[in-house]
Amino acid sequence: MTRVAAVRAIGLVKRFETTTAVDGVNLVVEEGEVRGLLGPNGAGKTTLLRLLFGLVAPDAGEIELFGHPLGAAESVNLEGVAGFVEEPTFYPYLSGQVNLELFAELDGGVAAGRVEEVLDLVGLSGRGGDRVSGYSTGMRQRLGIAAALLRSPRLLLLDEPTSGLDPAGARDMAGLVRRLAAEGTAVLLSSHLIGDLENVCDAYTVLRLGKVVWDGSAQRLREQAPGSAYRLATSDDPRALEIAEQHPGVHVSTSPTGELRLAVQGRVDDYVLDLGRAEIAVRRLELVVSPLESMFFALTTDVELDSAGLTDLIEAAMAQT
Amino acid sequence: MTATHAVRPGEAFAGGGGRDRIPSGGVWHVYRAERRKLSTQLATRLLALICVLGPFAFAGVLKIQAGSPADTLFGVWVHQSGFALSLVVLSFCGSWGFPVLAGVLAGDIFASEDRYGTWKMVLTRSSSRRSLFVGKVLAAITFSVGLLLLLAVSSLAAGLLLIGDGSLVDLGGHTLTSGHALELVVLSWLLNILPMLAFTSLAVLLSIATRNGIMGVIGPALVDLVMQLLLLVGTGVWLHMLLAASAFDGWYTLFVAHHYYGPLLIACIVSVIWIVACLAGSWLLLRRRDFAGAPVSRRPGWVVPVRVAVGSAVIVAFLAVASNWGPVGDTAARLKANFVPAFTNLTLLQQRELGRYVPRGAKLNVITTCSRRASTPSGPGDWICTLDVFIPQLGAEPFQQTPVSYDVSLQWDGCYKAESPPTFVGQQTMTAAGGHSVVNPLFVIYGCFNPL
Repeated sequence: MTRVAAVRAIGLVKRFETTTAVDGVNLVVEEGEVRGLLGPNGAGKTTLLRLLFGLVAPDAGEIELFGHPLGAAESVNLEGVAGFVEEPTFYPYLSGQVNLELFAELDGGVAAGRVEEVLDLVGLSGRGGDRVSGYSTGMRQRLGIAAALLRSPRLLLLDEPTSGLDPAGARDMAGLVRRLAAEGTAVLLSSHLIGDLENVCDAYTVLRLGKVVWDGSAQRLREQAPGSAYRLATSDDPRALEIAEQHPGVHVSTSPTGELRLAVQGRVDDYVLDLGRAEIAVRRLELVVSPLESMFFALTTDVELDSAGLTDLIEAAMAQT
Repeated sequence: MTATHAVRPGEAFAGGGGRDRIPSGGVWHVYRAERRKLSTQLATRLLALICVLGPFAFAGVLKIQAGSPADTLFGVWVHQSGFALSLVVLSFCGSWGFPVLAGVLAGDIFASEDRYGTWKMVLTRSSSRRSLFVGKVLAAITFSVGLLLLLAVSSLAAGLLLIGDGSLVDLGGHTLTSGHALELVVLSWLLNILPMLAFTSLAVLLSIATRNGIMGVIGPALVDLVMQLLLLVGTGVWLHMLLAASAFDGWYTLFVAHHYYGPLLIACIVSVIWIVACLAGSWLLLRRRDFAGAPVSRRPGWVVPVRVAVGSAVIVAFLAVASNWGPVGDTAARLKANFVPAFTNLTLLQQRELGRYVPRGAKLNVITTCSRRASTPSGPGDWICTLDVFIPQLGAEPFQQTPVSYDVSLQWDGCYKAESPPTFVGQQTMTAAGGHSVVNPLFVIYGCFNPL
């Protein structure tokens, strides 16, 4: 029995003039796996996806899709592969439905009714006849996902798939990805927003400056995460601070507005239980920096994520919110 | 990480032969998609409408006014023969219309993917880059040839319906039967397909090379304009023959009295060379292109446009100099040898039209001199031919020896238009024996001789 990965990339290098966008990247995506491709802007995520689609040719390295070399630029074989790079684009003077019909034609045609089916799947069935020029960013994103699903892909490569989607759309997207993966489709999701991928991915590959700085399962990533950070409000904040000193992995500080900030290396549960035993009511415990986020920051920045670093991270995250 | 899933039986990539599979979206599917896109575009529909209605509008205007496009080959005959109308339309299109058609149809077919940013979408479907290229080129060719044929049918229909199937006079002064004229007109249109494809290929090349739809659309017309200007300068034949625009005129040789096919064959070969060179260049550019998105830091500047402008000017200047290379095809002897029989035939035709008796085998006695109005005695440009002529037949005109002078405008390819003041040959129209108005065959004389 042949055992193959949906994607196997070895030693990929891509340079643009003086910039090395992808620098010796190895990547494997198994069938039925949802892998998150994480990295800050400019990390090389989009270039890596372009390489996998054959849109750019690597300067070094090899790509295999389902065990077969991707091939030279003129004869790239993307049978069973779908998705998009950056924001999906369409012919604006045509309707969404006609755009999908044209893409379906380029795939060799699809079964009758498939176009309507995928339009319905992404919630555009009522707007399929409208010109794409009148679509919002979110609608174009949905149409891009519909275009990717047209040919029932076995490998789905999506670049920032929730960009432009409202929270409900992002949730639907996550559900769709999980369902496809359950049916055996391999999915590679690229994003610089960690929250988009949390609870969706089975595994992660983190890029920084074109290099893979971390690769492994979601479970392993959580285990290795430097910590998490919370906003805390209690019935007795001074005592909560005192109790925190008894927990080596817990660092509590007070913000200029008097709010408590909790940086935790390891589990927060023991500290919360101690607060309860001391008859201090926990009125608010809000996760501000998840383990995945802290890991992402640790891997993609030069900041050392000790308790002070985590506190800085809270400041930054709260400033964003 | 290790692979954990087995490929399911019967799936697309099962087994070892998957690499050699042809993607399911092949050339035919790309062709169908592009054909659909082109046919939905407003520009394509407008062009098709113009191709259908244009000749009818032209014929309609001719019906209500006396003037004729006498500068164009066969132009003086448009009021008399529907076939002449079709040939005038063909002649105009060969100079200007076909390059514009090719540009509009093919110049945006690749560049539009850049404009809409859709390359990354189409290249991530099942069709390979090769299939996309071939399919798009075939779609552009289909529409180019389709509109050319539409124009051919429309111009013939307009001519025959609104002007009639009156006899056409060929470039030797002979009258062609309707059947023969139809055959030659159809063949003339078909001979324009190859140069049309040459300009379609050029539009594809510009579309891919510049990634700019505007350049792709107007580029072929600009190149044609430069070529038309180059055809007006220089005396040699080699460079002129290598210009794709000159291939549009190859059909003239079908209408000469003494057939010669050398220039026509060369026109076909030159067209094929342009097609192959442009498409090969296009494919090389597309095959090697990285679709890496727009560079953020690169701002539009003047450097590239200035370089292109300077480079183009240098090339045009070089070509202008090179237009003197090769033998000079236009000589006094050749012009005289061609002009005199044409004049003789047309004079006899005029006499018959006027109801005068012209016996079978009648000839004119003509003493002719042709000279160029320039310092050099040969080459294209303005010539003058003086004929001392009389018809040795009692009752014929001119019975007395009469001098006739023609101003001849001669092209590099041996084709000319000769005009004489009305005092010598009469007005553009004359009253025939039956009392109806007909074209005076001697008013403007068209002809072509072999410049090789």
